[in-house]
Amino acid sequence: MSEFIIETNKLTKKFKNRYAVESVNLQIKKGEIYGFLGPNGAGKTTTIRMLLGLAKPTYGSIQIFGKDMKKEKLTVLKKVGSLVEYPSYYGHLTAYENLEAIRILLDAPKSRIDEVLSIVRLSNDAKRPVKGFSLGMKQRLGIAAALLGKPELLILDEPTNGLDPSGILEIRELIKSMPKEHGITILVSSHLLSEMDQMATQVGIITKGKMIFQDSIETLRQRSKSKIAIKVNETEQAWRMLLSKGIQAEMENKQIYLPHSSDEAISTVVEELIHNRFSVFRVQEEKKSLEDIFLELTSGEGSL
Amino acid sequence: MGKVLRSEFLKLRKSSIWLLIFISPVLATLAGLGQSVEDTPYKWEITLSAMSFLHALLFFPLLTGVFSAFVCRYEHLGGGWKQLLAMPVSRSNVYIAKFLIVISLLAITQVLFAGGLVLVGQLKGFEGALPWKMILTSAIGGWIASLPLVALQLFVSVAWSSFAAPLAINVVFTLPNILVVNSEQFGPYYPWAQPFLAMMPTTEESFGALNVPMETLMIVILGSLVLFFLSGFTYFQRKEI
Repeated sequence: MSEFIIETNKLTKKFKNRYAVESVNLQIKKGEIYGFLGPNGAGKTTTIRMLLGLAKPTYGSIQIFGKDMKKEKLTVLKKVGSLVEYPSYYGHLTAYENLEAIRILLDAPKSRIDEVLSIVRLSNDAKRPVKGFSLGMKQRLGIAAALLGKPELLILDEPTNGLDPSGILEIRELIKSMPKEHGITILVSSHLLSEMDQMATQVGIITKGKMIFQDSIETLRQRSKSKIAIKVNETEQAWRMLLSKGIQAEMENKQIYLPHSSDEAISTVVEELIHNRFSVFRVQEEKKSLEDIFLELTSGEGSL
Repeated sequence: MGKVLRSEFLKLRKSSIWLLIFISPVLATLAGLGQSVEDTPYKWEITLSAMSFLHALLFFPLLTGVFSAFVCRYEHLGGGWKQLLAMPVSRSNVYIAKFLIVISLLAITQVLFAGGLVLVGQLKGFEGALPWKMILTSAIGGWIASLPLVALQLFVSVAWSSFAAPLAINVVFTLPNILVVNSEQFGPYYPWAQPFLAMMPTTEESFGALNVPMETLMIVILGSLVLFFLSGFTYFQRKEI
């Protein structure tokens, strides 16, 4: 068995002439919270639908728990809980009956229904028809359904979509607690990096169907190291002077940029500038947010 | 398979579909009561004919579509398909379970219809023993004749998320029944006409397609059942959710 819970090899999905997903190699280790990021329409949901056997890949293979999805789909799905796009429910049934309809299929014990209802804090609404539920409650019911079969892998597609801030926080805490308490591996997709920043351990970024980044969230954070921007008069001469003194600097947008350096190094640079009679207008730290990096990686596309 | 059926039954139990089972048998029974049978020796036959005109010609073929659309509706509405098919259940079992549920509902409808006929006979005091053979042949024959329609309607209902579209199609094909059953040429081959042809009692004065022997009908029915069922079944296996 490979070390990965989910491993895809050149996973591709083509709709007519358009590649919705192109050669994606997902690699998710046990116990990770894998944040699957991308702008809307980047191919996240299509990838997830293929992982769950709802759609067939045009090309490429999927291994979950080391088993080939094509050959052992039902065995794999027994240990997978999922919530795809928007929550699924039967409006005419109560929350309890909704879970019962799923429980029968999963062969789970009846007591498990009350357990998952209390995990998502719906115990008090269990006897109400779901059609009267708010979106947040339906979403929580969807998560309860995903947890019903005590899955080893949880696949949640945009689980916080349409929730209010307190609902988002609640779901986030719930997701974060899963790997610790139950050893579950989680794949969670979102189009908001800030959200992933607070729960994911690994991140995969997809845009236009292609995976453009896959590594730990720390690696992504390192890219957001700060720079020092200095604004002076006669930028170009000042920049040349600094280079001639052997100081590494870049010039951009009529500003001089220094790589992240110690306080002493900065003061030396400023001293040099003043000695050479340049007027220093501003010295400021510029930090790129993860959001900036995300937008940069996805070429600013699909923002908003 | 048992699991899928139990789950389907749970989803259905709380719905309003049960009311629909009664409508057609009740209306047919009223039609049976209203039919005058004073000056004829064929009291049962005439009553059954009167009841079949309403039930088998119109409502029963329509019900195949309504029930099929209904068992798919709650999956289409709340995104149930993706939840259901991401479970460890095979698509074949899901499809067969839905088919079985629909034909069970139709079977109950037929039982009620037969019960209605017996009731009319009792209320009007028809002499002699109950013509069980005729009643059962009619009820069971009509049920078997509806199976190809179920197969076709389930296919359409699975494919289209709209509730109304499959029903509209069904209505469009059911209404010509009134003409088609009179035709010796088209009657035996028109799927929507089969329940009526199978349910009408055969008498010497039978008209149009009713003269066609039962064997021919069964071949047509079974052939179209296999064709429609396999098409829908294969489609569902490949459907991308």
